[in-house]
Amino acid sequence: MIKLDEELYNKYVKLGRGNWGRGYNLLKTMYLGYLQLIKDEEFTPVVELSINVFLEIFKARRNETPIIMYPFNFGPEIFHAMDITPLMQEMFSVGLAPSHLNEIYLDFTNKVGYGDNPTLCNAQRPLIGAYMQDSAPIPDLLFFLSTPCNPLSISYQVFQQLTGVPSFNIDIPYWAYNEVSEFYDEKTMRYIIDQLKSLISWLEKQTKQKLNPDKFQQTMLWLNEAREYALEFNELLKTVPCPADSVAGYTNTICMATRGGTYDAVKGTKFLRDTAAENVKNGIGGIPDEKIRIAWPYTHVFFDYGLFPWLEREFNAVTILDLIGFYQPLPQDISTNEKCFESLAKGTLDFPMIGTCRGPIEYYIDFVINYVKDYKVDCVIFPMQFACKHAYLMTRVTSEAVREETGVPTLIFGVDPYDSREVTSDAIRGKISEFLTQIVL
Amino acid sequence: MSVMEKFAKAIPLVNPWIKNWKNEGKKVLGYFCTYIPDEIIFAADILPVRIRAMGVVDTPMGDAYLTDTSCSFTRCCLELANRKQYEFLDGIVSCNSCDQIRRLYDNLRYKAPFSFHHFLSTPGVVNEITTNWFKNELIKFKEVLENNFGVNITDDKLRSAIKIYNETRTLLKELFMLRKHEAPPITGTEIMNVLTAAVSIPREQFNELLIQELKEISSREGVISHKARIMLVGSMLDDPEYVKIIEDLGGLIVADALCLGTRFFWDLVDESSDPLEALAERYLSRVSCPRMTGEQPTRMKYTLDLINEFDINGVIIQRMKFCPLWWGEIFMLRRKLKELNIPFLELEREYVLSGTGAMKTRVQTFIEILEAR
Repeated sequence: MIKLDEELYNKYVKLGRGNWGRGYNLLKTMYLGYLQLIKDEEFTPVVELSINVFLEIFKARRNETPIIMYPFNFGPEIFHAMDITPLMQEMFSVGLAPSHLNEIYLDFTNKVGYGDNPTLCNAQRPLIGAYMQDSAPIPDLLFFLSTPCNPLSISYQVFQQLTGVPSFNIDIPYWAYNEVSEFYDEKTMRYIIDQLKSLISWLEKQTKQKLNPDKFQQTMLWLNEAREYALEFNELLKTVPCPADSVAGYTNTICMATRGGTYDAVKGTKFLRDTAAENVKNGIGGIPDEKIRIAWPYTHVFFDYGLFPWLEREFNAVTILDLIGFYQPLPQDISTNEKCFESLAKGTLDFPMIGTCRGPIEYYIDFVINYVKDYKVDCVIFPMQFACKHAYLMTRVTSEAVREETGVPTLIFGVDPYDSREVTSDAIRGKISEFLTQIVL
Repeated sequence: MSVMEKFAKAIPLVNPWIKNWKNEGKKVLGYFCTYIPDEIIFAADILPVRIRAMGVVDTPMGDAYLTDTSCSFTRCCLELANRKQYEFLDGIVSCNSCDQIRRLYDNLRYKAPFSFHHFLSTPGVVNEITTNWFKNELIKFKEVLENNFGVNITDDKLRSAIKIYNETRTLLKELFMLRKHEAPPITGTEIMNVLTAAVSIPREQFNELLIQELKEISSREGVISHKARIMLVGSMLDDPEYVKIIEDLGGLIVADALCLGTRFFWDLVDESSDPLEALAERYLSRVSCPRMTGEQPTRMKYTLDLINEFDINGVIIQRMKFCPLWWGEIFMLRRKLKELNIPFLELEREYVLSGTGAMKTRVQTFIEILEAR
């Protein structure tokens, strides 16, 4: 396995040299910080993908090609197919959280009166603070969805109003597209397909370039291939011991959410699948001596990257599921243009957090219960963000349903994954530690 | 008894009109949001009543299931449902007004169920595709009502309901326009009473009362004792007492951009086209609330136009605690008002009236500032 040694490190530092442009220098700082972090580590396809996420943005700025900002819960395939560089907004808040640098922007949003921690999600709020300090990257285009949550849609609207960047929104329906669901509506699929086609028309108008059918087909092929690997990876996690560590699932989704529809995502997801498959073959767990299998049906606590390693080390506990890290969209028939759109629509409706949170509570309850059963989970930990009303307000009922249906113990606590000062690492670890030692073990 | 006194009788959760309606053996459905076209319910000869949650002192059930960082309106609703205070309702209709209302609906279904529940997947974006989707939602809603309650909602019945509801809107606008006068013949508190009645009693009876009210106030002397003309903006507010606090301190509310206010009645439904299509069109395209993405410039213009037309001295922006949508909206509005040098006061509040001492101090200071300008 290749390592990111001095030579490779210097190569990538060199590639990032130059002025990234107004607001984009923050991304440059993140890029250089990331390189520093992974120096001397294995140079995996996932690492290469992450580097490319940054470098593609820099390249677009340098070449003056369009950049579109979009949220974490939408696959960027259409953008890649149209040579529009996607910039996932949340990489900013998530990326800065471990070093607490996002907190500077949170404090600033508090100062200028844009929300507070329990009301507006801090995945988006730092962007507003950064913009008002002239530090936010300003894209050429803006895209967002009406779900999963109000904080996302309102913060993107505020950003749009502040910057004047042209924006396009898709409405995500409440109903299911699957005929066996009690919430099925036959118009759901068509509704999304029509809106995705409108998105393409809008992008064509904005960029003055047509969608290239060959490029689109290639994108769809790569998307399908990556989904195949993601699916296999998810299946492999059912094995006892779990063949991946607690962050591998999240990495899987990151591949799809940042580079979905590119060969990078194929390589990244294949790498994760291969590694897990090899471990299963050899009877090796993702963590040593697995004792507890945790489902974590919400996001990571982004400011505390040491939390999962701590759980692994102290309790031999592997977190198999997190809400973002379970990439659900399946490979689809893409034999015709219409089928390709159907595939994109299913991807949109099933994307992590959208699939589980866009409709009635049953989507979430069924997801968690099925996961607990299929993945032989020992306990469920709900680390809920105060501002995440659409998710937090489902937790108590879901927790009761899980206990009733599976008998598995659950823990709910409030946290702000982006602000270490709201509920501290020590407090979080205290709650989990108490739960695991007194109830689970 | 004056008409206004009659309207005030509509404020309690179960008012005399609802009792009479029920005594006739007819059904009552509660609904949560002004994005639900209650004309369809009315056309089924079912009384639509907007769900309110007055009189709750504590919310242990709401806090436990909806968390203590959710909006207090939703917590109060769950609490009242759990205490069987909504037993006069034969069911509820909800929509994805906001995340908290959406999840309130789920929690109600699980923890305090009604005999009938229906949900409308209401688009947050306005265009032809979403309007067609919403029309389909209304078709389904109509069919569900027909099947569940054994009624037949014909196009004629829908047209008739639309006509009655449009009459309400026209009459309310007429009443509202009287507030343009230098000495308006009606206070904001009274208007809040009227609007609460509008969503709590049968519309035909409401319209008759409103016609009488318009006659009564035509001979009334206007309010001249006020110190400032105020516009009230913000999230869900259905408590006349809240408005009264401001008016008792000399700030006469002469305009608003509230969901139980002008946004509720400003736009008419087209009576000449297919009724469900017209309803879908009107409800999605009406003066919006911040749940509608891409519509902020229109909302801003609407608010600024009212400020100009109604000769507003200052704006009071009230925001329900833990409401993300209104926080974003207010952030944008605040910047604009500052830019235009329009004085404003921002108040955070809970659904149930509380902390009135601090509120009075702030409002009083604000009015003094306005007076000094």
